[in-house]
Amino acid sequence: MEGASYQRFPRVKIRELKDDYAKFELHDTDASMANALRRVMIAEVPTIAIDLVEIEVNSSVLNDEFIAHRLGLIPLTSQRAMSMRFSRDCDACDGDGQCEFCSVEFHLRAKCISDQTLDVTSNDLYSSDHTVVPVDFTDYAGYESSEQRGIIIVKLRRGQELRLRAIARKGIGKDHAKWSPAATVTFMYEPEIHINEDMMDTLTLEEKQSFVDSSPTRVFDIDPNTQQVVVVDPEAYTYDDEVLKKAEAMGKPGLVEIYAKEDSFIFTIESTGVVKASQLVLNAIEILKQKLDAVRLSEDTVEADDQFGELGAHMRGG
Amino acid sequence: MEHGSFTDNSAATFSLTDEDHTIANAVRFTLNQDPRVTFCGYSIPHPSEARVNIRVQTTGDPAREVLKDACQNLMLMCRHVRSTFDKAVEDFRASNAVKAMKIDSQDSSGDDSEESE
Repeated sequence: MEGASYQRFPRVKIRELKDDYAKFELHDTDASMANALRRVMIAEVPTIAIDLVEIEVNSSVLNDEFIAHRLGLIPLTSQRAMSMRFSRDCDACDGDGQCEFCSVEFHLRAKCISDQTLDVTSNDLYSSDHTVVPVDFTDYAGYESSEQRGIIIVKLRRGQELRLRAIARKGIGKDHAKWSPAATVTFMYEPEIHINEDMMDTLTLEEKQSFVDSSPTRVFDIDPNTQQVVVVDPEAYTYDDEVLKKAEAMGKPGLVEIYAKEDSFIFTIESTGVVKASQLVLNAIEILKQKLDAVRLSEDTVEADDQFGELGAHMRGG
Repeated sequence: MEHGSFTDNSAATFSLTDEDHTIANAVRFTLNQDPRVTFCGYSIPHPSEARVNIRVQTTGDPAREVLKDACQNLMLMCRHVRSTFDKAVEDFRASNAVKAMKIDSQDSSGDDSEESE
């Protein structure tokens, strides 16, 4: 039983949630925790991506490894990834990493027979597992043409052919960026803005307007009814100190005070579409727990040495 | 891997392989929350090698136990964040469903923040 620890429990509030975009607030925790979440989301949440390509025929203008590289970067829906095994850990296959438990097989056959250029896209990749397919980027809201858009892999001329077999495996962003499920993950400190009303009253309307305009993003505005400067969007503040410099230039330092709340973060997450943004956060937390488990349960080999050897030398700054 | 002394196990350096700032900074923060800890810090001996050294000095308790408790606390925090996030997602979806029904009844033309779920 440990002594009373000063641990607080974080709170979450969701601002926006779409399939591939999430914005939420995380309160009552430290920057190290927020950063750990961010780092895990980018580099350690597993996904599935093409890792091995066997090319039978390629008479296109791109060479084999070029096409293989492009295939690797195609995002594949990876809901299965968390429950899948890494190929290197799989004991069902003979070690070649191509069994059904640890990999997904794709094939692609394209030959241009018409005079028109044939676009070979990610829609032409056929999967052996219907849950792992190239992400469908069809924009349902207001796209005029009815054609299915896919990621163009290569364009073929009359007579050119491409035939290949690809194996997709589970991996993490740390190994190769093709396995990273996150497009961008950012977090910012929540700003707290105080306007010194007494000092603000000593300004003329023009000075107030120029103060409001000095901020590159629209943080302040002038209320048309009361002619007062009000905060219209505190989170648009990007921690550039333009408004503070402007206040000093006008001879009124302390006109506004802006603090960053140290335990309040606003996360903005954009996923590539391989997993939903909300699922990405949950997977990240799961992976973080697994890493902690590994540390906690590892067999410690106690090497007793007062000098600590070269390890101690480093800790002592040697 | 723990480097310590047989006689005094209240201070030790833990060398974790295949780890980096992700876990080390979070564990360091949690260790600092524990009142039994007098000193804790982490360093990365070389950026090309995936190894982290976490130094823990306590007021008498074995350093290994304190580290394990810190990992446990961090896991509890993760679990809490997860359940809070799950609940927040449900609340958000529920409130959005209500909003969507209201918008439908007002017959709006194309809501561009529509969720395709």
